[in-house]
Amino acid sequence: MGAAKDIVEHCGVPRFVFSDFPLGNSAGKPFDVESQAATLELALRVLESAPAPRTTVQSPQRWSEDASWKLDYHNLAKMTSAEIAEHRKEFEAVKAVIASKPDRK
Amino acid sequence: MKFAPEHDVPIPYMQRTRDYYRALGFETPYHWAHYDEVPFTPLARPLAQSRLALITTAAPYQPGAGNQEPGAPYNAAAKFYTVYTDSTDSEPDLRISHVGYDRKHTHARDLNTWFPLARLREAVKAGRLGALTPRFYGSPTNRSQRVTLERDAPELLARCRVDAADVALIVPT
Repeated sequence: MGAAKDIVEHCGVPRFVFSDFPLGNSAGKPFDVESQAATLELALRVLESAPAPRTTVQSPQRWSEDASWKLDYHNLAKMTSAEIAEHRKEFEAVKAVIASKPDRK
Repeated sequence: MKFAPEHDVPIPYMQRTRDYYRALGFETPYHWAHYDEVPFTPLARPLAQSRLALITTAAPYQPGAGNQEPGAPYNAAAKFYTVYTDSTDSEPDLRISHVGYDRKHTHARDLNTWFPLARLREAVKAGRLGALTPRFYGSPTNRSQRVTLERDAPELLARCRVDAADVALIVPT
């Protein structure tokens, strides 16, 4: 189950249920048991019935009527240079934290 | 018949990420895992008689490891670096502050959107699925493909086999 279609397909997996949702919602919509159950049922059906590796099935569920959320994630076209500089500082801090972990290797 | 808008397609994460880090000043592009051959094993028995292993990239809450609340900024201190397991009969407190989810459009207040344990239990109860393995499995997101391939993935597989899993469901965040 995943939401990053290009990355999962670039790797290649036996079976993939793709939800066209913001990252963080691979298993369905928040506080929506019906959406989550439907996502799982689709995954189980794909497990049973996929004919070959790299089978992708896209969930028919939509995140919202308006697809403009797709324009936001890491989209340079929507960032100012000040924001980009801020992101760079944040990323350097993240790298420093990871490098400091003794058990990472 | 009305067509959908041009931007209404799956987000091109790889292109966005490459462009984003180049703009941040990092010239060496990331190489995502990429295979020409992909394994495939048909189910050995019907799902109603199969035992499923749930594999997650979510992190157990770690007191003292900084802000892991819903909507928290990316928190690398909350990452974990070895495979973990916990009981599928438990109610684990798993968080996603350690990974790059969509912080604008995902509020991250419902664990069931990245960890479908509750829905899986219902599927077992309904007879749709035979059983869950006694444990679920946590896969590190440590940004080292070598460590993933040589250490973490074999460890995950070994634990799934010890627990006699027939099928595995991987839910990355």
